[in-house]
Amino acid sequence: MRVLLLGMNHRTAPVELRERFAASDPAPLLAKLVESEEIEEAVLVSTCNRVEVIALTQRPEAARLRLRSFFRRELGGEAAAGEEGRRLDDALYELADANAMRHVLRVTSSIDSMVVGEPQILGQMKDAYRTAVDAGACGTILARLFQCAFATAKRVRRETRIAERPISVARVAVDLARQIFEDLSEKTALLIGAGEMIEIALEALREDGLSSIHVANRTRAHAAELAERFGATAHALDELPSLLLRADVVLSCIGGSSPLVTLAMVTTAIDSREGPLFIIDIGVPRNVDPSVNALDGVYLYDLDDLAEAAAANAEERRRETVRAEAIVLEEQQRFDGWLAALQAVPTIRDLRSRAESIRVAELERVLGRLGLDGAQREAVEALTRSIVNKLLHAPLSRLRSQSEHAGGFASLEAVRELFGLDSPRSGEGEEGGDADGDGSSREEP
Amino acid sequence: MIVAGLQIAAALYLVAGLAAWLGVLLRATRITRASVGLLVAAAAVHGFTFVGFHFESSPPPLTDLPAAVSLMSWIAALALLVFLRRARLTALIGLVAPAAFVGSFFAALRFPHSPTEPLVGTASSWPHLHVILASTGLALLGLACGAGFAFLAVDRALKRRRPVRSRWPSLEALDRVNRATLGLGFLLLSLGVVTGMLWVDSETGSVWTGTPHETWSALAWAVYAVLFAVRFGGRQRGRRAALAAVAGFVFLFFAVIGVGLLA
Repeated sequence: MRVLLLGMNHRTAPVELRERFAASDPAPLLAKLVESEEIEEAVLVSTCNRVEVIALTQRPEAARLRLRSFFRRELGGEAAAGEEGRRLDDALYELADANAMRHVLRVTSSIDSMVVGEPQILGQMKDAYRTAVDAGACGTILARLFQCAFATAKRVRRETRIAERPISVARVAVDLARQIFEDLSEKTALLIGAGEMIEIALEALREDGLSSIHVANRTRAHAAELAERFGATAHALDELPSLLLRADVVLSCIGGSSPLVTLAMVTTAIDSREGPLFIIDIGVPRNVDPSVNALDGVYLYDLDDLAEAAAANAEERRRETVRAEAIVLEEQQRFDGWLAALQAVPTIRDLRSRAESIRVAELERVLGRLGLDGAQREAVEALTRSIVNKLLHAPLSRLRSQSEHAGGFASLEAVRELFGLDSPRSGEGEEGGDADGDGSSREEP
Repeated sequence: MIVAGLQIAAALYLVAGLAAWLGVLLRATRITRASVGLLVAAAAVHGFTFVGFHFESSPPPLTDLPAAVSLMSWIAALALLVFLRRARLTALIGLVAPAAFVGSFFAALRFPHSPTEPLVGTASSWPHLHVILASTGLALLGLACGAGFAFLAVDRALKRRRPVRSRWPSLEALDRVNRATLGLGFLLLSLGVVTGMLWVDSETGSVWTGTPHETWSALAWAVYAVLFAVRFGGRQRGRRAALAAVAGFVFLFFAVIGVGLLA
């Protein structure tokens, strides 16, 4: 059994190529993929940053070709040929076995994400897994791999700080606001400007539960348009002094050569309230008089301050990635052990079968000459069965336990080689099978 | 039995304080939660020592300084546990628990306490009421001081544009604790002063005998009266309110406890 992974991500393919091969409805595609003889199980991960197929196969070479054609035909719609085909080939990466499994664990743990530590990928991987299960494309082994990946992601989140601190300017501003205010949901925000930065900040504030939001802009129509989309109220800039009296969080990003929010305006605002005032000035040139930071209860941050905090947080995440990689490796080894134990089953079954066939053949050869009665014959049968079982007990037990650890594959290979399990049988009879009737299912780990 | 209880409580307070600091600095939620559990356990064991006092001699000998300090630290721990239910204030355990450790350890060291040597005259119903009210007031004002100290640390970091990377409470929560504990603490301290005067009156026939304890306590009350008026009448807040809470408690502690120790 081999695990193969073929895919493209934000590092290997530009967004237009990722868009071209993204799957909006993966279920039928997966169902068709596992109908192929080469593919036994498959999961398709399709997000804005990656398109990857993870497959289980007994025939890796054929499966590799099938997965490439899956990208060209099924995902690319009409066969991607010519220039696009070459771009696809350049963008695709292939991983096999341990590398493929580790990649799944890293992706799910958000180590491989564009924004390391982002939380969405875990949900996206869970969706991909559920879709594959519903489509009947995900069997025991990939199911176990994904369960292991989800557990790894939870461990990484719990045991490291990979996702603890925000790294976008907007999220850093919200994080700072939480150091000042206990509950943002009961606070009022004033956004000055209606550009893209304000919109991003507005989304971040909304996500954190801030409900009362005012947008003030030179062009009131632009403010109204933004306010309507986010359920805020629109104002003109001349309302700033009165809006400042009500605001707890002020976020400003608007053009202009001189500070729009003056020391006098902020002094009046802070004197008329009990709580603090948090001002984020991401305008260039700055929109807020820097001296307001000296006022008791006023906390002013500009773009450089936020960018510095974001960079420090990103550095912390990078450091935490090392710890996360160690967790991934540990979990991958655990999964390898399980997989190796699973792969030990055929070897154990073959060894039992080989021993049993020799026992039966030799017994038949001797019994004909001895002329024993029924009871004597049964006694000899029991004796030979007991000898075989006792001889095999220790090696089979060790094979089972060793196959769960690193190096287990080597033991399996050695047993197959020593007992000639992969060579044609000769001399000992061909009865084979599970002659002692104990059922091979007992070897399932 | 009581000494053992005080020692166990002191040990639990100490571990709770250390756990709270570790939780804050390492940003470890489990350790922070453990510090809350340890504080609950410490306060429970500490509470049983007062039950022990009660069974040993009723009413319990609280008028002795170590017992009063022990009571004060217990009430501070209980008050913090109440506030913990309303806001993210677990970091304050790092300040309150070590103080409670000192209070309970001091009480254990000085056991048995000396109820036969009250501050003034012989016992009546006023001494216990006075000690309970004044100790509760002091404990709450101590908590205001702790919240003020934490506020100053977070405020300084934010003003210097060095966001707090460890898990400190929000400025707003700290300011609310400061406000609530100052208001209630001053009220109880005032009642403590009144009952103290009634106690002295019942023993000497005069509400004022001019002992250092009375003089310093009256001065401390006056200081807090000013702080109370400024905070609730003059809209003082934030950094200034935090500074006032810290400075006020330092003076109060010296006036009530320090003078008692030096006497």
